[in-house]
Amino acid sequence: MTARLAGPLLLLALWQGLALLTAGRFLIAGPAEVAAWLADQSGLVLRALAVTGRNAAVGFVAGNLAAVLLAALAALWPRSRGGVLALALVVHCLPLVATGPILRVLLGPGEGPQIWIAALAVYYTTLIPLLAGLSATPSGWLDLVRVHGRGRLAQLVHVRARAALPYLLAGLQIAVPAALLGAMVGEFTGAERGLGVLTIRFTRALDVPALWGVATVAAGVALAGYGAIGALGRRLGAPPPPVILSLGAAPRAPWRRQAGGALLVLLAVPLLWWAAIEALALNPFFVKTPAELWLALTSAPDSALRRATLAGAGLQTLAFLLPGYLAGLALGAGLAALLALAPAAGQVVTPLALAMRAIPIITTAPLIVLALGRGAAGTVAIVAVMVFFPTLVACRYGLAQAPGRIMDLMQCHAAGPWARLRHVQLPAMLPALFASARMAVPAAVLAVTVAEWLATGRGLGQLMALSASVSDYTMLWLCVALVTLASAAGYAAIAVLERRVLAVFAPEQLVR
Amino acid sequence: MAADGAWPSGPGGVTIRCEGLAQRFAGGVTALAPLDLTIAPGLTTALIGPSGCGKSTLLRLIAGLDAPSGGRVTADGRPPAQICRDGEVALAFQDPSLLPWLDLRRNVALSRRLARKAADPALVERLIGLVGLAGFETSRPASLSGGMRQRAAIARALAAEPRLLLLDEPFGAVDELTRRQLARELPPLWQARGATVLLVTHSVEEAVLLADRVLVLSPRPARIVDDIGVPLPRPRPAGITDSPAFRQLTRRALTALEGGAP
Ligand SMILES: Nc1ncnc2c1ncn2[C@@H]1O[C@H](COP(=O)(O)OP(=O)(O)OP(=O)(O)O)[C@@H](O)[C@H]1O
Ligand SMILES: [Mg+2]
Repeated sequence: MTARLAGPLLLLALWQGLALLTAGRFLIAGPAEVAAWLADQSGLVLRALAVTGRNAAVGFVAGNLAAVLLAALAALWPRSRGGVLALALVVHCLPLVATGPILRVLLGPGEGPQIWIAALAVYYTTLIPLLAGLSATPSGWLDLVRVHGRGRLAQLVHVRARAALPYLLAGLQIAVPAALLGAMVGEFTGAERGLGVLTIRFTRALDVPALWGVATVAAGVALAGYGAIGALGRRLGAPPPPVILSLGAAPRAPWRRQAGGALLVLLAVPLLWWAAIEALALNPFFVKTPAELWLALTSAPDSALRRATLAGAGLQTLAFLLPGYLAGLALGAGLAALLALAPAAGQVVTPLALAMRAIPIITTAPLIVLALGRGAAGTVAIVAVMVFFPTLVACRYGLAQAPGRIMDLMQCHAAGPWARLRHVQLPAMLPALFASARMAVPAAVLAVTVAEWLATGRGLGQLMALSASVSDYTMLWLCVALVTLASAAGYAAIAVLERRVLAVFAPEQLVR
Repeated sequence: MAADGAWPSGPGGVTIRCEGLAQRFAGGVTALAPLDLTIAPGLTTALIGPSGCGKSTLLRLIAGLDAPSGGRVTADGRPPAQICRDGEVALAFQDPSLLPWLDLRRNVALSRRLARKAADPALVERLIGLVGLAGFETSRPASLSGGMRQRAAIARALAAEPRLLLLDEPFGAVDELTRRQLARELPPLWQARGATVLLVTHSVEEAVLLADRVLVLSPRPARIVDDIGVPLPRPRPAGITDSPAFRQLTRRALTALEGGAP
């Protein structure tokens, strides 16, 4: 209990200390200053919060409902699982920075885009643990259902659904900050009210206490929601699941079939995209078909220029993305390993890291830019922070998974903490590290594009913002296609690497 | 804890017929060589054999949980999937597989729900008492011992009132005293119902004590090396384990078991 309190107190003290240290440089507003600003502007903040909160809540419900339905489909019809996962991943990889403006022109003013983006931001982080939970049932439970002559529906109703409840709740917990983040990113694209609008306004005005105040409110609300769902889980007797981030049985198909599946998705996505345009009769000025994009890249008069622009922006983005991503992973895993050597410190840091994971990091992007400047350092730091906390939490969790009996055995042989870490705990951490690395790809892309858009004015984020503002929808869609393809490819590449490594270090994670 | 009064009678058991039944796993392991076997209705048949010889494999095939790689199984002429759908099969496997979020009572009643049979709280209570778990009705599996969970799994299988009851080492983690007591009290129950019972056990004494027929299997792939009828009176009188007839039967089974080993 003291450890749980120590973390937040430490954070507050650090925050106040940093604010005092940097006083006069207009970077950090300390807790006292933020409290004063909030007290002063409570009306404004509450009105904005009501709008953002409502949009986030509607998006939360819609996105999670979609996730539950998709997961149920995959459970009832296992052959659809690969397709569901692949399409879900592609949609998850859509750059919110671009989908925001596109939804804005399609849906017009109002709350539509915010809700859509909030829903898009949450469904994947619910779908993945839910699928894992639905398939993480001991085969004996399913045999019991089968021996009484019942099929998949009864398996779902009597066994899988309840067994997946802890996983669902874990997903919903992470979905709270994600929904808030989505609603705010949606508001960045020209909404009239909300916390996102305030963030943009205060960033332009360099109003430091106000920015910190808005970020604090967003973080506080997300934390409260995160905590409430955790409490609900405890009430329902659904303790946190054993594996939160596991891929939940990636198909153990031969690579030929996997490659075939990937090809199928590559063909299906443009087809579905085109079919959606036709079916919904979307305005051809705002929405480009895959064929149009292909022509724009290959045979249009300005195609060479387009290719050069895209490649240049892509490389700029990659230059921020890669270092930030790798740094976030390395720092997260490294700190987790260090904390395994110093369990007392771990007890303080873990609740803190859990809390930080519950904060919609993107809303702090302006703050980080404020602190580190508009250059490379700021953007890299945002990406790293976005990757760092989930990795730290996942790796801490993975380390705790080290088989207790083997740890006891090591103790018997008087193995020191370092030997234990190397021989037992680090291998046990690997699955969590890889799962986290995989899930962090789209998150890192989101972070880098938002940072570029809001602050640095470079890379794909800036190109998307610019294209949206000058109504160059061809370029905007090209960016969407490029970012989506690159994120999904990065994700898939890590999944392949993951399977290789797990086959050696944690084969039991690959079963089923 | 003893059963009070007679158990309700049932519709009788099913006849199991295995014709050329074989199972070869993907890794190349042949668990069952082609096996021909008929199991008469209403009798208790015990399967004994060395570990890994294919006993569980055979039970899974009969329950329709796996498809054989060769040959076929029928129950009264129907394929296993059909008798499952008709709600006539129940099993208690090596691993009790209780659902952790249900209390004992609900776990036991679950098989009836799955088999689409009308709820029968009185039967559930009685079965819980029979397996010696009265007083734990509202306990979750996590707070039961390994042996208690196995007994719960037996009660759950019986609650479905099956015509075919498959028991795979149901007493593995049960203490000796409780084992003996269950061996005395369970058979009258399934005999009253006339169910066909297939029981896998590692104990030769238990096989002879519980069964009307003992099949001794060879090491993998399982063949039948001896087929022993057990003409002992039912219900088995107390102290029968000391009788010469009992001793002779166990000796014969043991010899077959040893002879079957390489
Ligand atoms: N799903 C499977 N895939 C591959 N091999 C299997 C599978 N299930 C069982 N086997 C193999 O088949 C053989 C028979 O297994 P089975 O479980 O039927 O043995 P058993 O007689 O029940 O043993 P025990 O008495 O130890 O429970 C074993 O060699 C086992 O390794
Ligand atoms: Mg077995």
